[in-house]
Amino acid sequence: MGFFHRLSPQGLRLLALIGVIVLLLGFFSSQIEGYMNARLFSRISGSVAIMALIATAQTLVILTRNIDLSIGSVVGFVAFAAGNMVSGAPDMNPVLLVLYCMAVGAVFGAVNGLIVAYARVPSIIVTLATMAIFRSLLVEYSDGKSITTSTLPGWLTEFPNLPLFTLFGLEFRAAFVASLVVVILVHLALTRLRPMRQVFAVGSNPEAAEMAGIDARRVVFGAFVLSGALAGLAGLLFLARFGNITVVAGLGFELKSVASAVVGGVNIFGGSGSVIGALLGAVLVDVIDTSLVRWAIVSEFWREAVLGALILLSVTTDTLFTRRLIAFRARRRAAREVRP
Amino acid sequence: MSVPPTLALRAVSKSFGMTAALADMTLELFPGEVHAIVGENGAGKSTMIKIMTGIYQPSSGVLEIDGAAVVLAGTKAARLRGVAAIYQEPMVFPDLDVTENIFISSTDAGLFMDRRAMRKRAQALIARVGMTLDVDREARGLTLAEQQAVEIARALSQDVQVLIMDEPTASLSAHEAAELRRIAKALAASGVSVVYISHRLEEVFEIADRVTVIRDGRHISTRPVAEVTPQGLIADMVGREVGNYFTKMPSVAQDEVVLSVRRLARTGVFEGITFDLHRGEVLCMAGLIGARRTDVALALFGVHPATGGEVRYKGQAVHVTSPAQAIGMGIAYVSEDRRKLGLAMPLSIRSNISLATLAQYLSPLGLIDRAAERETAMAYRKRLAIRAPDVEMAVGVLSGGNQQTVMLAKWLALKPELLIVDEPTRGIDVGAKAEVHDLIRAFVKDGGTALVISSDLPEVLALGDRIVVMREGRQMGIVASADATQEGIMAVATGQSAAA
Amino acid sequence: MIARLKSWEGFLLVVLALIIAVNAGLSPEFLTVGNQINLFQLSIEKIIVALVMTFIIINGEIDLSVGSMMGLAACAFGWLVKEQGVAAPVAIGGALMIGVLGGALNGWFITKVGLPSLVVTLATLIGFRGLARVLVEDRGLTDFPNWFDALGQKGLIGPVPFALIAFALLFGVLYVVLERSGFGRKTQVIGTNREVAEFAGIDTNRHKMVLFIASGAISAFAGLLYAARVGAVRGDVANGFELDIITIVLLGGVSIFGGTGTLIGTLLAILIVLNIRNGMALMSITGHIQTGVIGLLLIASVIVPRLTPSRAKEAA
Repeated sequence: MGFFHRLSPQGLRLLALIGVIVLLLGFFSSQIEGYMNARLFSRISGSVAIMALIATAQTLVILTRNIDLSIGSVVGFVAFAAGNMVSGAPDMNPVLLVLYCMAVGAVFGAVNGLIVAYARVPSIIVTLATMAIFRSLLVEYSDGKSITTSTLPGWLTEFPNLPLFTLFGLEFRAAFVASLVVVILVHLALTRLRPMRQVFAVGSNPEAAEMAGIDARRVVFGAFVLSGALAGLAGLLFLARFGNITVVAGLGFELKSVASAVVGGVNIFGGSGSVIGALLGAVLVDVIDTSLVRWAIVSEFWREAVLGALILLSVTTDTLFTRRLIAFRARRRAAREVRP
Repeated sequence: MSVPPTLALRAVSKSFGMTAALADMTLELFPGEVHAIVGENGAGKSTMIKIMTGIYQPSSGVLEIDGAAVVLAGTKAARLRGVAAIYQEPMVFPDLDVTENIFISSTDAGLFMDRRAMRKRAQALIARVGMTLDVDREARGLTLAEQQAVEIARALSQDVQVLIMDEPTASLSAHEAAELRRIAKALAASGVSVVYISHRLEEVFEIADRVTVIRDGRHISTRPVAEVTPQGLIADMVGREVGNYFTKMPSVAQDEVVLSVRRLARTGVFEGITFDLHRGEVLCMAGLIGARRTDVALALFGVHPATGGEVRYKGQAVHVTSPAQAIGMGIAYVSEDRRKLGLAMPLSIRSNISLATLAQYLSPLGLIDRAAERETAMAYRKRLAIRAPDVEMAVGVLSGGNQQTVMLAKWLALKPELLIVDEPTRGIDVGAKAEVHDLIRAFVKDGGTALVISSDLPEVLALGDRIVVMREGRQMGIVASADATQEGIMAVATGQSAAA
Repeated sequence: MIARLKSWEGFLLVVLALIIAVNAGLSPEFLTVGNQINLFQLSIEKIIVALVMTFIIINGEIDLSVGSMMGLAACAFGWLVKEQGVAAPVAIGGALMIGVLGGALNGWFITKVGLPSLVVTLATLIGFRGLARVLVEDRGLTDFPNWFDALGQKGLIGPVPFALIAFALLFGVLYVVLERSGFGRKTQVIGTNREVAEFAGIDTNRHKMVLFIASGAISAFAGLLYAARVGAVRGDVANGFELDIITIVLLGGVSIFGGTGTLIGTLLAILIVLNIRNGMALMSITGHIQTGVIGLLLIASVIVPRLTPSRAKEAA
C-alpha cells in the first residue's frame, strides 16, 4: 500500500499499461496456438521501432500544449531524401546519413516551431498546413520517381533485421535496439536536463512559466526542432525497413502517433506524460494490431475498431481515475487540516 | 538609514490608456525590513508589484535597485536582480514535483540536474521556510500553504533580495497564516526586504516594521508601525470625501420579504450567512478579498449550490442548483468579471443584451425576431445611456463603463425580481459609477430587490439600505447604512473589531 | 471584430476573383456550366460536411471522425444492400441512423465523461473506420440500384445533380440557423465563452450533443452521396477527408478557438479551394501539390491579417 501511495499517477499509469499488455499477451496466447514465440517478438519489435520514435517525437510537442500533424509528411520526406542520397552514394558513412536525416527533420520542425512559437499561430492550424506543404515538397522533390529496395545498399536494408543479441531466447534486432536507445535517451534527457524539464513546466502552467522567468517561446520552438529531428530518424528507419518509398510514405502517422501518445498516458493538454508511456502505448497498439490478424475468432478487420475502442476506454479510465485520485487526496488533506 | 534602499520607486507612474493606475508613486525598501503595503481593492497595489517584478514598465519615473536606476525587461530580469513575488494564488507547476518546482528556472545551475544534490538543497530550503514537505511529491496535490512555501523556496534558491508577498494569507487557515508570517519575519531577519501586502491589519501590526498606505494609485503615507494606530491606518485607506459624487437616497424598502437566507453554507467556503431581503431594498455585502462574498452570490444563483442552510424565495423553500433554475425564478446575477463571466465580447451589443432572454424572441421555428431584439437593445441603450453609435457594435470595443451597462441591461431585460450585482462599478469612471447607481435605485423603486456586493465603501454606504459585513467566509454582522461609517466597516472587515 | 470579419470575407473574395480570372485565362472551358458543376461534384461530400464542421468549430470543438463516419455510412449501406439483401431505401435509413448514433457516441464522451473532443473524435476516427472495414473487409461493393447511382451521377434538375441541390439547400438552411436562429446564437455564445453561456442559463452540454449528432448524421449523408456518385464502396471511402474539411473551415476565417466565423466565409473558402484545385489541375499539377498550396494559403490567412498596423496594435 505504501508503494502505491508514493507512486505518482504517472508511475501508476505506466504500471497499468504494462499490466494491460501482459494481460493481452496472456489472453492471445490462450486463444492462438503457438502465439508466444520468438517470431512474435521480432514482428512486434520490428514495427514498434518506427512507431516508438514517432510517438516520442509527437509526445515532445504535446507536452508543450501543442500538436504536430505534419509528422507523417516529415517521415515520408526524410525517408525519400535519405533513400535518394544513399542510392547515389552507397558507400557513405552511416553516421553522416543519420545526421543528415536528423538535420532535415529538424529543419521541418524549426519551420513549425517558428510559426507556432514566434508568430503565435495555433499549432493545429500550422501543422495541418505544413502537413500538406511538406508532402507537396516531397512530390516536387521526388519528381514522380520512387525509391526501391534494389537501389539501396545492403547494409541499410539489412540493418533492421540485423540480430544484435539474444535475451531469454528473444532476438533483439538492430532497428528495435536503436529505437529503444533513442527513446531511453530522450527519456533521460526529459527527466534530467533542465531545459527539457522546462518543456513540462511550459505545458503544465504557461503563466507560471513566464512568471518564473522561463522563455516559453524558446522552449516550444526547441520542442518542435527536437521532435522534427526524431521524426527524421524515424524516416531513416522507415526507409531501411520498407525500402520502397513513394510520395505517400508516412501518410496517417500523424494521427497514429497522437493515438499512441494518448494511450500511453500523455495528457493532450500538455504538462504530463512520458516518452516511456508513449513507447508502451505504441507497443500496446501494435500487440493488438499483430495479434488480431492471427486470431481465428474475429476477422483481422476488427483491428481498427478495437483500437478505437481501446483509446476511448483508456482515456476514459485515465480521466476518471485521475479525478478520483485528486478528490481522494483532497479529502485526505481536508481531514488533516487543522482549523483552530 | 545610511545604506541605499535595496529597491526604490522614484515618482513612478503607470497609466493604461486614459486611466492612471499609479501616479507619482514613491517607495523605498531597506534590507531586513518587513514593509507592509495597505490600501483598498483597486488602490494600485497590483500595478505596483507588476512594475517591481518587470511585468509592466513604468510610464514615467525610475526604478532603482541598490541605488542604481534599472530597467527590468521581464520577470526573468527581475529574478536575476533578486526581486521575486508570490501571490495569493501560487504559481506552481502541478505536474512537476516539489524539487523541480524550486529549481526549474534556476539560471546559475548547469544543464544537468543533479537530482540528489537538488533534493538535498530542496529539503534544506523547505526546512528554512519551516515546512515539513516530501520534496518528491507532485505539486498538484499540495495545499495552498505548501504551494506558497514552494514558491518562497524557489525565490530563496536564487538569492532573493526583495520578496514581495501579495495577499499571501487571504486563502489560508489561521494556523497556516501564522506559519507564513513567521517565515516572512525570519526572512527579513536574514536580510531580505519583505514587501507584505495584506488586508488583515492585525497581520500588519504583528509583523511589519513600516507600513505604506496607497489610495487611488497615490502614495498617502509611510510610517513605522510603532507610530500608527489601526484607526489612523483605516482613515488613511478610506480617506476620500464621501458624498461628493454619491448622493444618499431615501430607502424604498417595503415589508414583503423576497429572499430569506438562514445559516447558508458551502462546505469549506462560507458558513452562517443569515439575512432577510425586502422588496425595494438594496442590501450591500461589504468585505475584503477572501471574504467569500462572491461565493455566496454564486450559491444563490445556483452556480455552486449551497451545501447547508435554507433559502426561502417569495415564501417558498428553494434549493437552487443551476443558473437556468435561478433565471426561471426571476433571479439575475451580474458578475464582477465582465471578461470571463459577463459578456460575449466579439458579439454585438444587441446579441449580448438578449442573451438571458433569448427565448422571448424566438418564433415557433426557433428563429430570432431580430427587429424586436434590436428594439429592446435600442431601448436599453437609450435608458441606460450606453454610449455606442450602433447596437450592432461588438461589446469588446466599448469602454469598461459601457460594457458594464450592457451587462446590466442583459439582466434588467430579464425583468428580474431579485438582482444580484457583484462589484457593479469596478474599473469604471466616476460619472459611469453614478449612472450605475441610478439604475440600481430605479430598479428597486420599480419594485425590484437588489443584493449588491461591493468593495467600494463610499458606494456601499451610499447605495445600501443595510450592509452585511463578511470576513473570511463568515458573516460578521448587519448594520443599517445610516448607522455605519467607512471606518467602522473597515474595522470589522479587517478583523479589528468584532461587529459592525 | 465584426468589421474585421467583413474585411476578412472581402479578402477571400479578392483571392477568389484572382483565381477565377487566372483559371479563365488558362482555359476557355473553365467558365462553362459543365465545368463549374463538375468542379463542385468532385468534392461535393467534403464541402457538405464543411458546413456542419463550421458549426462545430465555432462552438469551440472539433470533429476528426467525419471522414470515417462517411466511410462507415457508405460501407453500411453497401453491406446492407449487397450482402444482407435489404431494400435500398431502408439501407439509407439505416446508414443515416448509424450517423446519428455515432455522433451521439462522440457527444456522450465529450459532454458526459468530459473528454476533449480532439481525443474522442481521434479515437472514433480510428474506430468508425474500423467498423467500416469490419463490414466490407477488403471487398469492393458495387452494382447498386440504378436510381441510386443515377442520383449521384446524373443531373436532377437540368444538369444540376442531386448532391449539389442538397448542398445548396443545406447551405441555405444552415445559414439561416447560424445567423438567424436561437440555436445559431447559442452556438456562437458557447464557442466565445462557455461560462457566459452557462451563466445565462444555456444548457451547453445539450447543445454540444445536438451538434455532434448533426455532424454524424450529415457525415453519414455525405458518405451515401459518395457511394452514389462513385457507384461503389470500399473500406477506405473518404479516408483522410477530415483534414481537408477542417482546412476549408479554418481558411474561411472560423477561429480554431471558437466563437467567430460565418458560413459565408466557409462558402468562399470552398470556392477558393475548388477553383485552386481545378485551375492547378488544368495546369496538370498533382493533387498533393494542390493541397500544399492550400496549406500555404491557410498559414498566410492567419499571419497576413496580423501584419496590418491596426491588428498589430490590437495584439499588443
